[in-house]
Formats: sequence, C-alpha cells, structure tokens
Amino acid sequence: MPMHIGEKDFKKRVTKGIQDDFMRGAVRSAQERLQNRRAAAAEELGDWEEWRTLGQQIRSHTVEHLDYYLHQLSEKVAELGGHVFFAETGEEANEYIKQVVQEKNAKKIAKSKSMVTEEISMNEALEGIGCEVIETDLGEYILQIDDHDPPSHIVAPALHKNKEQIRDVFKERLDYLKTEKPEELALFAREKLREEFLTADIGITGCNFAVAESGSFALVTNEGNARMVTALPKTQITVMGMERIVPGWEELDIVVSLLTRAAVGQKLTSYITALTGPKQIDEADGPEEFHLVIVDNGRSKILGTEFQEALHCIRCAACINVCPVYRHVGGHAYGSIYPGPIGAVLSPLLSDYDEYKELPYASSLCGACTEVCPVKIPLHEQLIMHRRKIVEDEKKSTLAERIAMRGFEQIVHSANLYRTATRMAPFLTTPFAKNNVITKGPGPIRNWTDTRDLPRPTKERFRDWFKNREKQGGAV
Amino acid sequence: MKGKIINRERFLTNVSSKIGGLTPEKSIEKPEWTVNPQHNVLKDFTQDQLVDVLKEQCQHIHTDFFQTTSDRLKDTLNDVLAQYATKSFIYSADERFQTYHLDDFFQSSVNEKRAIMEWDPEDRETSVSFAEKADAGITFSDMTLAESGTIVLFNGKGQGRSVSLLPRDYIAIVPKSTIVPRMTQATQYIHELVKTGKNIASCVNFITGPSNSADIEMNLVVGVHGPIQAAYIIVEDK
Amino acid sequence: MIGNIQKGALKVKVSFFITCLGDIFYANAGKAAVELLERLGCEVEFPDAQTCCGQPAYNSGYHKETLEAAKHMIEVFEQSEYVVGISGSCVYMLHEYVHLFKDGSNWQKRAIALKEKTYEFSQFIVEILGIEDVGASYQAVATYHTSCHMTRLLGVKEAPFKLLENVKGLKMVDLPYRHDCCGFGGTFSVKMANISEQMVDEKISHIEETEANLLLGADGSCLMNIGGRITRQGKPVEVKHIAEILNSRGDE
Repeated sequence: MPMHIGEKDFKKRVTKGIQDDFMRGAVRSAQERLQNRRAAAAEELGDWEEWRTLGQQIRSHTVEHLDYYLHQLSEKVAELGGHVFFAETGEEANEYIKQVVQEKNAKKIAKSKSMVTEEISMNEALEGIGCEVIETDLGEYILQIDDHDPPSHIVAPALHKNKEQIRDVFKERLDYLKTEKPEELALFAREKLREEFLTADIGITGCNFAVAESGSFALVTNEGNARMVTALPKTQITVMGMERIVPGWEELDIVVSLLTRAAVGQKLTSYITALTGPKQIDEADGPEEFHLVIVDNGRSKILGTEFQEALHCIRCAACINVCPVYRHVGGHAYGSIYPGPIGAVLSPLLSDYDEYKELPYASSLCGACTEVCPVKIPLHEQLIMHRRKIVEDEKKSTLAERIAMRGFEQIVHSANLYRTATRMAPFLTTPFAKNNVITKGPGPIRNWTDTRDLPRPTKERFRDWFKNREKQGGAV
Repeated sequence: MKGKIINRERFLTNVSSKIGGLTPEKSIEKPEWTVNPQHNVLKDFTQDQLVDVLKEQCQHIHTDFFQTTSDRLKDTLNDVLAQYATKSFIYSADERFQTYHLDDFFQSSVNEKRAIMEWDPEDRETSVSFAEKADAGITFSDMTLAESGTIVLFNGKGQGRSVSLLPRDYIAIVPKSTIVPRMTQATQYIHELVKTGKNIASCVNFITGPSNSADIEMNLVVGVHGPIQAAYIIVEDK
Repeated sequence: MIGNIQKGALKVKVSFFITCLGDIFYANAGKAAVELLERLGCEVEFPDAQTCCGQPAYNSGYHKETLEAAKHMIEVFEQSEYVVGISGSCVYMLHEYVHLFKDGSNWQKRAIALKEKTYEFSQFIVEILGIEDVGASYQAVATYHTSCHMTRLLGVKEAPFKLLENVKGLKMVDLPYRHDCCGFGGTFSVKMANISEQMVDEKISHIEETEANLLLGADGSCLMNIGGRITRQGKPVEVKHIAEILNSRGDE
C-alpha cells in the first residue's frame, strides 16, 4: 500500500517511537507551540464555536452533494481551457500524469506540498520514467534529501527532526557548512531551490480547496513555493483528493480562515493563492497549460457510510497537535502518511483493516481531537465506530475478548450475576494481593500490573455497606 | 478553447450512487447557514479604525508599516527604498503609479543609479529574470484586509505574479480606500463577479507579510522562497 | 448557604449510582458521597439491581452487548427522581444511551428521560442543589485531575473546582497540562499498555511539579490509573476521590 510507511508490525513501530528520545523531544515542543497558537487564535475570535458550526455545515453540505460540485468544478475548469482527469485509483492518476509529462517531454518537475500525491506515490511513478521530482516545501525537501524519510505530520512533515539533525542531513548530502540556526538552514534551501523553480518544466501542486462556482482552487502556504510552482513552469498539474472542494468563494473564506487558525494559529498564512485556469492571453507569467487531476482512491467507499464525516477533514492537523498518543509514539508509528486521530480514522478506510486494524485502538478516547476539530468531526466517536466494525462486521477481535464480552453482557443485565461477580472480586484477587494492592495480576490484568498497582477490592463492597446501614436504621 | 474532461461520467455515477443518486446536472441550492460569524469581524469600523487594526497586525506578520499622504508618497517610498538599501526594483504595470505621480519618482530613481523596470506582460523572459534579481518588487494593493494584514492582488496582465514574489523585498502601496475588514469582503466581491458571469483574475494572491516557514522545530523563519522583507505604505487616496 | 432547593421543603430524592469500580475498589468514596448528599438534605437510596454502565463494552465496539447493559440500567433507574454518580465518565455513558437506540423509539424516549435526570456528583451539588460551600475542611496541598470524559463529553468543567475552593484548610495548586489524558482509556490501558504507561508517567511528572501531597479527581478509573502508577513508583502523593474531601470535617 502506497499510503503505508515504515515497519510492517504495529507494535515494533510503537516501540521504536517510544524509544526515540530525539523524536519525542521534537514532537513535544512542536505540539506545545502549535496547541498554544491554535488556542490563542481561536480565543481571539471570541465566537470560535460559531465558526466551527459554520465550517461543519459547509463541509457537510458539500460532501452530501459532492457529485454536483465536482461536475460544476470540472465544467468551469474546462471552460477556461484547463483539462480535467477523474481518477478512480492512484494508478489511474499516475498514468495520466505520466502521460502529460511525456507529452511535454519534461525532465524536471517542481512540486509543492501535497498529501494526496504522497498517498498515490506519484513521485515514485514519475521517477520511474526518468523524471527528477523536486519537493520544494522546506519540510518535504528536508525529508527528500534524507533518503526519502517519510513525513510524520500532515502540515509539518519533518516535525520529528530537530534542527541539529537537519543540519547534519544538509551537511552530508549538500555540503552545507553553516550552523543549525533555522534562519541559516532556510536561507540555504532558498538558494538551492531558486534555480530549480526557474528551470522546472512542470509544476505540480496539491489543492487545499477547489472552488466549484468558478473552477478555481486555493493553495494555502507560508513559504511561497506554491506560488513559484504555479507562476514559473509552463505546464501545471494540480492533484486533488475529490472531497477538497467548497461551493463558492464565500465558503472558501470560512474554510481557509478555519484552516490557518487551526493549523498554525495564523489569521491567514503568508500566501493564499487562488488560481483559476491557465494564464490568460495577455499575461506573462503563469502556466500555459493546466491539468486538474481529481482523485478518488478509496474516498467514495467512505461516502454514504457512518464515516462520511471523515471526508469533511480540511487537513489542519489540529487533532494531531493535541493528541497525547501521537506525542509519545510520533507520526511514523501509525504506519500511514496520515497519522494521529484523523489518520487512525482515515487510514483503515482508505486502505483496509488488515493493514490498519490496530490504529482505532491507539487512542484513549480522551476526546481532545474532537474538541479542537475546526469542522467538528467526532473523531473519537469514529474510532469507536471502527472498533464496532472490527468486532461486528470484520470479526477481527480475539476469541478471548469475544468470550469476555459475552460474559460481560450476561453479567451486566443480570443484577444477581453482577452481585455475585463483584462479591467474588476480593476472594479471587486475594492470592495476588500484597498489602492493599495487587502487583502481579493474572491474565489480561497482567498488562496493567506490569506498570501499575491495582487496588485490592475492599472486603465490604459499597452495596454491602449501604444495605447494612439501612438495616441499622439508615442515614444518621 | 474548451479543455478536455476525461472519465467523468463513470467517476461521478459512482459518487452519486453513494450519496443518494442525485443527477449531477441538477442544480443544488446552498442552504442558509445558521450562523455567519464572519460578518461580525470589525463590523462598522471606520476607515481610520481599520488602518489602526492593520497597523497593529503588521507587527505580528513581520511587516514594516508606513502611513503617508499622496503628496508625500514618493518621499516615503524613497525612504523605504533607502532603508532597504534597494539598488534595483521592478514594479507592476499599473496606472495608479501615474495617478500618484510616481512615474516622475521612478525617473529620479534611475538618475540615482537604481536599476528599475516596469513589468512587461509582453516580455516574460526579461520581466521574470529582472524580477528574480531585483532587490524589491513594488505593487499597488487591489484590496487590503485589515484583520490579517493582507494585500490582495488580482494578478494578470500588468499586475504580474512574479513582482510580489521573486524580488528580495516586497513593497505594497495601499490606498486607504482599499482597506476592508477581512477576507470575507474580498471573497464576496469575487463571488459577485462570478455570479454575474464576469471573468476573475487567473491568479488572486492573498499576501500576508514576507514569506516564512516553521518547518524547522516550529520556529518561524522569515524569508524562505518568497520575499524576505515586506513593507506596506498606506496612502491617503488621490 | 441556601441553594435552589429550599431548606424545610421536601427532601430531594437521589438514586445513587456507584459504578463498578466504586462498588469494588472505592467504597470509601461512595460512602463519603452518600453521607455528604444526606448532609446537604437529600434522601439517598441505592437501587441494588444496578450493574455496570456498559462503557467497557461500548468503547471496545461491542455495541449489542452494551445495549443489554443500557436497557437494564434504564429499567433500574426508571422510577428515580435524580440519578447521581461518582464518576464523570460512567455518568456520561448513561447519557450516551440515547444514541444506542433507534431515533424515536420507545427505548430512546426512556433513555432520554434517564439522561435528563442523571448528574455527576459535583455537578449535582453545584447545579441542582445550588451549593458551592459544603462546609468541608481538610488540611492538605492538593491538585486536581480533570478527567477527559467528564470535562469534554459531559461538559462539567467548573463544579469540582468551585466546591474544592471552599474547603477550609485545603490549598489547591493548578495542575499544569491538566487537559492531557492520564492514559487510562479503559481497555486502552491494557491493549496499548506501553503507550498508556508513557501517558501516565507524563501526568505524574506534572503532578510532581505542583509539589502537592494530594491528588484529587472525580473519576475512579483515572484515579486507579494514576494512583496505581504512583504507588508502584513509591511517590509520596496520596490519591483521593473529591467526595472524600468534601465530606471531611477536619477530623481525619
């Protein structure tokens, strides 16, 4: 699966993450900064909940009528002279893009950040036909020159690296001679990449939001690389996940405002670039030819299901930035280019449960993700729905768990059985108890007592106390 | 010439079947959203109050803020260019430069041995390569968003995309009347153009300060691929 | 302090919801809660047929099994005037029943009725009894763990703090990063034990930063998790349910 990254085994990935102190230090401080910025930007508005409500309504309406809006979008793009290719799979998308590249006899491709192209492994497909694909987002660039280290975050892909590590990568690969100061590192990348922009044959971008009413699409960036990619090369290809669309410009305003605040706490990022078709005849810069590739790649499987709200996602990563699980294991542990809570929801849907069955369980269901989502996706509830599907439809839960849950069902709806079970607790646990705690439990309790004590059940249950008290005349 | 649309029918038929089998051609009306908080931001602010908001916001986006009268505009611009040690600049082909009598100033700049160029929509090669080497790019703002400190450029023809992008510094001249509360007013304006069947610019840029990145340890670094310094000069309308 | 419910009027009838962990492990918290509610003028009964709220099954994806628990609990508390529980998370689960049944069904109506009368302990005292000072006194420097389900899902954010602020002798210290989960998460704590361990250790390091000698909370499960790790590591921090402090009159 192209979405997949790293080691196959989930447990090994998690252990690796937990043991990586550098990564965890980098993630912790990044999360803290991003959390604080988001919170400040939301608070400053004063009516953030209303903005979220509006965002939810817009996303919900758009996805409910996705066929209509995609049709409108494609008509508008074609009217402007752009070409639109609808790709049901990643392979179809890559084939089309390769064909355009070959027709143009293009060798060098400058690319701005795009998650969907990661998802479909477009770079590898183009490199396979002899193209040089240059990632121009600073984070992506760092990863690309570090032997294609996979991204660990959907907004800040190199978030798992600290500046010393980045300096070392630059030094080893590009003969960089200066210090680990971010300013110096960035200036170095600026100089390296400037030449590439000017000489690239084709520019490829992702798409934050397409605007159906005018056939436009918006790129939300800070660095200016997406502007370079869309101003200088003669041919432009934009690849979008099919749900990344809004009805009109008025809605674009809202989703962009939500995105920039939720992602990085900025009122707007440095550049919001809204492009409509190829350049016009009287214009000097801008692409002469424009191709829009609309990618399904598993998204339509989600439509019409209980997971449809996952398609409302605007890829701000706010959920990732508050997630305590992500903080401790890092992005790579998820084994998907989409990590964190939204990744745990989306990855099994875009791929399957065989590949990602553990992800819905990699959450304490603390709900921090749901609380910050700017378009109100009930992320932790979606994780519970995944668990339900794994149990009920996929029958992928363990036999022991199924037996335990059947027992649970029997006990909880029978007062007598329940009373008996709870009365037994102190006796059953006595052999394991030391002082007032259990330090080494049997069976599944073992996983608990490996790290924590378990209190010893009290001899007198609460209900016994209450009953005795009533016998003795009740409340004093 | 109309572009090609490939694979649409199969693709959308599948999508439609999942969400209730709508005919994609059927017109969908947008619902009335129950809340519209965007209209309350800086509501009823006067033009002067909006200038204050913009000024304050400039501090957060690493942008130098200047305010001047139309008579003094050329002096202010000269000061900024001196402060930025500008030896060369490119400016968009925009008649407002004449309206504000900056053409005379440009002439005197040449006399001061500054290399200058007006963006030439007919000559892509020269324009781009000049912009790429220029110390500064200068444009007028088409719309200005107070809340976020954003210059909106309707790029096209004389308003070349590269002028505000390739040079080391970016200087925006902001006629006071172009200032609106926020992005809402700009997108509403564009929506009205679309609704009435008018063309919109092939590239609408919302520019907020210099380029930056936080990809290295979430530390904001100013000046990555685009300009490293930015200045807004607010000018009383002519 | 005179609350919403006037003294001398008919006593408020409370059906007490102890939760499994409370019944088995934290009987003291339950006792304290009952005693305090009575002090505050409530008439407390304990429907003995009550079992578990079903959350362990629900969160694990066993929704058919949860349904049985839900129906049972709805029946158990059908006649109650108020249902008051000592765990925010389990109380939220009783609210969540509404979503388990078909829209408009009779069971859903009954679930809604249960939701509307079910409160978390501190929430009940502040919002229904209208009392913020329960007359408690306790000598300690304490910090409070805001449990996730109680704050984020049930939406009870202020009530425990209001009550604790008025406890004489108790010095409350803010817990840094209090919005972070303690790592319990039900079966998460055993299924993803190593991740859970990292989370609880981080929580404890923040508790230690406060230099408090007492950790309070309103959710037995979180307290069991944090407390279990604290005793394992032999840290000098006592862990108690807020009911125990609110019912204290300085005689401990």
